[in-house]
Amino acid sequence: MLCGAKCLDMETNWAAEQLQTIRTLMERSAVYRRALAPIMLFAGFAGVLAAAGGLVFHLNSPRAFGELWLGVALVAVAGAFLIARQQALKDHEPFWSPPTRRVAQALLPPLLAGLCLGLLLVMVFNHGVELAVSLIWILFYGCALHAAGFFMPRGIKWFGWIFILSACGLFYAMMFNWFRFEVNPHWLMGFFFGVLHLAYGAYLYLTEKGKNAA
Amino acid sequence: MNPEPFLQLDRVIHEKGRLAIMSMLAASPELSFTELRDALGMTDGNLTTHIRALQETGYVSVAKSYQNRRPLTTCTLTAPGRKAFADYINLLERIVQQNRPK
Repeated sequence: MLCGAKCLDMETNWAAEQLQTIRTLMERSAVYRRALAPIMLFAGFAGVLAAAGGLVFHLNSPRAFGELWLGVALVAVAGAFLIARQQALKDHEPFWSPPTRRVAQALLPPLLAGLCLGLLLVMVFNHGVELAVSLIWILFYGCALHAAGFFMPRGIKWFGWIFILSACGLFYAMMFNWFRFEVNPHWLMGFFFGVLHLAYGAYLYLTEKGKNAA
Repeated sequence: MNPEPFLQLDRVIHEKGRLAIMSMLAASPELSFTELRDALGMTDGNLTTHIRALQETGYVSVAKSYQNRRPLTTCTLTAPGRKAFADYINLLERIVQQNRPK
């Protein structure tokens, strides 16, 4: 009788765990189909336009640099939410679903840390920190992508690694004066937040099929 | 104590890998072989074996086509597969309910 009760307990726990696993997998599958390609392309276009704007209008002071790129980040985040919401409505799925919430929760800490650190440097120093701020944002954005990658297609994690490793390498290059030419931070931001996003978005469009496209 | 629901669990779906595949497919109209492999972290061989088992029981249908001149394999849950999956979940819920303190 004692064994019977214990066995039933084990069965119940096992069944509850199975249900939780199924729920997680189904949620992951739903996130998988989110509008990642258009989001990447939108963010890429915003990044390229911002870099061009920064170069054309010579927004070179830390404050102007910070304002420009934080503004672009806001536009990109708002655009991403709108695209994801549109996709959810189209598929008759709730927008603020558990998977969306998990992705947002994974993205938030690194993005917040990058924002705080970048803002601090921009506010405290009057010149010469734009490159460091760019690298900090690239690094933390990479960490955010990697964290969100646990709930999304595996490609996102690799995409995050590109940002993390590049930022670390560029930090070393900056600290030890390995650059043989002057690196304009707008170029750097334009490449990472513009060109790379466009390239990843184009890759997703070309490799995914129809509505299964990420 | 009623052990019946546990014994009624579908043995084909019951396997961990196949349950994961069924769960993913239940939430999507269709998924490509690559998407399933990447999402579940399975090897090609392992995934092929499980999909074949599910195909043989009629739970999953597999379509082969070409995309950009490259072969594309897509998997879909069939109507019997969807029903079997729903039954499996219902049984799991019954097991949990049965032993829940009232």
